[in-house]
Amino acid sequence: MNPNILLIPILVPIIAGVLTFILPKSVKWGKEILALIATAITMYYAAVIFKAGGEGLRLFVPWTSFGINFDLWAYHFPRFILLAAAGFEILLALYTASFMEGKNRSKEYFAYFLLTAGLANGAILANNFVVMLFFWESLLATLYGMISVGNKEAFKTATKALVISGIADFAMILGIIFAWQLSGTLTMSEIHLEPMGLGAAAFVLMGLGAMAKAGAMPFHTWIPDAAIDAPLPFMAYLPAALEKLLGIYMLGRISLEMFTIHMNSTMSIFLMTIGAVTIVLAVMMALVQKDYKKLLSFHAISQVGYMILGIGTGVPAGIVGGLFHMLNHAMYKCTLFLTGGAVEKQAGTTELKKLGGLFKLMPITGVAFWVAAFAISGVPPFNGFVSKELVFHGAVETGIMIFPIAAWIGAIFTFASFLKLGHATYFGQQSPEMPNKAPKDPGLAMTVPMLVIALGCILFGVYSKLPLKYLIQPVLEGRAILEGHAGHMEFWTFHLNWIVWVSMACLVIAFLLHKYGVKKGQGQAYLASEPIHNLPVMHTLYDWAEARVFDIYEWFVNGLLKGAAWTVFKVVDRGIDAVYERLIVFVGGVATGVLKEYHNGLYANYLAWVVGGFALLVLYLAVLVK
Amino acid sequence: MGWEFSLLATILVPIIGAFTLPLIGLASKPGRNAWAVILGLATTFFAVTLLPAAFSGETHVFQRAIGLGVDATFVVDGLSVFMAIASSLISTLIIIYSLGYIKDYHYQQEYFLMVVLFLGAMMGLVFSANMILMYVFWEITGICSWRLIGFFRDREVVIKADKAFLVTAGGAVFMLLGFALVYAKTGTFNMLDMRGFPIGGLAVALITMGIFAKSATLPFHTWLPDAGVAPTPVTALLHAAVLVKIGVYAFARIFNYTFVIPGDWQTYLMILGLISAMVSASAALIETNIKRILALSTVSQIGYIFMGLAAFNTIGVAGALLFILMHGLAKGGLFLAAGVIEHGTGTKDITKMGGLIKAMPITAVAFIMCVFSIVGVPPFGGFFSKFMVIQGIIKSNHIAIGALAIFTAVLTLVYLMRLFTLVFLGEARDHSIHAHKEGTPTMVWVVASLAVLSLAAGILVKYPMDLVNIAVRDVLGNPAIHDILGVLR
Repeated sequence: MNPNILLIPILVPIIAGVLTFILPKSVKWGKEILALIATAITMYYAAVIFKAGGEGLRLFVPWTSFGINFDLWAYHFPRFILLAAAGFEILLALYTASFMEGKNRSKEYFAYFLLTAGLANGAILANNFVVMLFFWESLLATLYGMISVGNKEAFKTATKALVISGIADFAMILGIIFAWQLSGTLTMSEIHLEPMGLGAAAFVLMGLGAMAKAGAMPFHTWIPDAAIDAPLPFMAYLPAALEKLLGIYMLGRISLEMFTIHMNSTMSIFLMTIGAVTIVLAVMMALVQKDYKKLLSFHAISQVGYMILGIGTGVPAGIVGGLFHMLNHAMYKCTLFLTGGAVEKQAGTTELKKLGGLFKLMPITGVAFWVAAFAISGVPPFNGFVSKELVFHGAVETGIMIFPIAAWIGAIFTFASFLKLGHATYFGQQSPEMPNKAPKDPGLAMTVPMLVIALGCILFGVYSKLPLKYLIQPVLEGRAILEGHAGHMEFWTFHLNWIVWVSMACLVIAFLLHKYGVKKGQGQAYLASEPIHNLPVMHTLYDWAEARVFDIYEWFVNGLLKGAAWTVFKVVDRGIDAVYERLIVFVGGVATGVLKEYHNGLYANYLAWVVGGFALLVLYLAVLVK
Repeated sequence: MGWEFSLLATILVPIIGAFTLPLIGLASKPGRNAWAVILGLATTFFAVTLLPAAFSGETHVFQRAIGLGVDATFVVDGLSVFMAIASSLISTLIIIYSLGYIKDYHYQQEYFLMVVLFLGAMMGLVFSANMILMYVFWEITGICSWRLIGFFRDREVVIKADKAFLVTAGGAVFMLLGFALVYAKTGTFNMLDMRGFPIGGLAVALITMGIFAKSATLPFHTWLPDAGVAPTPVTALLHAAVLVKIGVYAFARIFNYTFVIPGDWQTYLMILGLISAMVSASAALIETNIKRILALSTVSQIGYIFMGLAAFNTIGVAGALLFILMHGLAKGGLFLAAGVIEHGTGTKDITKMGGLIKAMPITAVAFIMCVFSIVGVPPFGGFFSKFMVIQGIIKSNHIAIGALAIFTAVLTLVYLMRLFTLVFLGEARDHSIHAHKEGTPTMVWVVASLAVLSLAAGILVKYPMDLVNIAVRDVLGNPAIHDILGVLR
């Protein structure tokens, strides 16, 4: 097969995106049709590339010097991610077409959407660091554009997202340059390093870049803001699906291929710590949210923790679980955001207080929501259950029990918060404050994507062996990490052991918490988390979080960076300028004042000056010209 | 057309042509404007015709005695041709832009004379292989910039012009002392004869003072933000395209190409570049005058170029040379966009602006594209140059400097996004400031084309890179330097 077809998933969406920009406004449905055609072509070729199998297609064209080659390689890992991304893109194009209809700047949104798709495909397929960075970092520009399409305040969030992602990307660049310095190549598949010394720094920096893309703490703080300010399809597309795929895919490549992370090594602990902290802190934030979209956005952060924790374990079960969770998360979180969009469009609000009783009015949306909600909560037999169990198994296998415990705590509050969200939105009484009194299910363009992905959540749960065998397993095949795990790929087999029972117990605890909370809230489901919100220490912490005390952007960029810059400006920059403006002017004034005295107009006086100066010149030359 | 003809035409067409401009201007203003553009285009054209000579792999030397024992020695190699094309291309775009900007002001005759003479002196400077010749052209550019900064003639403006002139000329005096020191050892001012000659720390320090003063590098940088009192095309010309790059070029020609400097000085120069980059980036985060911010940003980016050159390895030097082009395009675009904004709003204070994207959509989009290029966001050209400069720093084993250079890139992102957001987004904060429309079509056209060139230079990076590689081969073709590199690797 001609390897040039690797260019199609990159170029077709990019060209379509550029065309969308220049499309005249009068062409009706032009942007939607362009988006659907481009994503369909991408989907088709992603499937062709996936089916090619084997070593995979590789396109290698010298680009410029210094080892910078246009090198694309669709081996098993990237082609699986490419296929997954393409699947989401086509469904989201359909959904967005309906959601953004008649909205301001929707043309611009579609253009960014398509550009993002093409650039992301490029970053997925790249096998040269510069090519990868070229596409990966270009996403900064489209990210900025997509968020800015939202409401009036969206530009602030867009800037915040750009700066935070930019910091992470620069960290990644530094890590990549370290890796290049150690290995002498920019070709990604040729890099095999030990995470020690400069290599450790390279791993940490690249890992931070990848994890930040996936939305891990502490680089997450723009996501909840974007949930409010950015257009909803953006949330379903980037933070829910594509950024998870990209970030975790890159983390996988870094920690499985370029470096090997052994169980309980320093780097393993580093990853697992970030994972565990992200799970727990973000889920605690999610629990107390009272807005549909904002609640989901904190879960989009929390769930990344499971993926990082799984990959960080360094044991096959955990890694497979982490990667499978990435795929599952993209599915259920995408569905959840899509239901959020349907609710927003139909009911006119996403505030839980103003919702309620929607299941009867919007049954299709409701079904899709509950499937995805059970999946994210790890309820069997949905897909999230399988991947979470694998992560639990991996975490338990490391023997450091704090990590699986953190994961279970996350499981409890995940289910509790989704019971709250689902209860407050779909059951109970319809709130009299609902802006739109008679919401109904949206049109097919919006319901079909929801249902298709929700169906996927069921299939990937019931028939989990298939995705594991064809998508995830090849990533690990032949890797040193499998040594000592006899029978290799047996770990997806369902074992009804104590770990599963603990997980089930977590679900029961969550259910009881919810019931207690609803009772305390006098039947108001949206108040179900208040008992936890109002716990003594927790309450203060939540207040601080609301005040953005923990927001890296606030204290680092707006606080530390600006403060340090102010000091440097005042002391160094203005200080140096004062030397010119004050000191030199002053000294010059004094000197000319003195010299004036000697300008008395006497010829002999000037002659003495000339002779003296000449003598100095001779002296200078005599000393130097030896 | 032989290379000798092209060389002389590149230098003499703008220098002689500059003095014909006021004469033509007496007869017809549009004729003079057209003639100025033609001179710029012709200079660029002749510089481009030198490409075959540069690519041929040989160094072409033009040498004629001009009396007083001084030879006019010019060298045509990758480095000089690259610099000539990069600066004449950007200068020509700026001349075109200034047709619209300058049309309502006094002293246009002098303006066009000085701009084109500046271009000619710059061409002479980049081809000079003789230190004295270089110094002469160096000072001509200084005189031109002095007149141009003081264009508006107010007392305060003239003081700033004097400041710029005194700082750069003062630095040049130290540089001349350094040249004298070298002459004392070698007995020649011809740089081609001195290749591979090791010079001492004192000579390096003296010459560096001249270079840093011209390139507005810490601690000689404060004249550059102050020069923002000049009309915008001048600031763009001075800052982005040409004047500050003179120092950079001199660095490459003198330290990379000609001499071998002591090893510890290589590290010192890199550290000085880093400090300059960090301090000016910090200042840019605090300033509220759009032109001062952009000027400080230039100081900061020049620091990167010095760091790349001071890496003394192929990738660092290549990144630095590429940086000259990418920064020239993007920063030129930013300054000219700032000119459109100043023209439209009548202020330079960004705290009074806001929401200008509605009135000036094209300028705004061009502005953000140039911002992305300066920050180093692909697919814009600035990405490649910044990436390679940092690669060069790390390759020369200065890990901490590389990390701080990345940190400075973060600072750059923050202050430029602050600038863009305050100027273009949200609501206008001072309602007395109203901009209802874009600048003149010519102005907007030039701004947009600089933004598009920044994008094209990224996607089609192969072509500038080919030229850069020739330049790097010539610059580092010095065998003694290869020995040093062997040790470094």
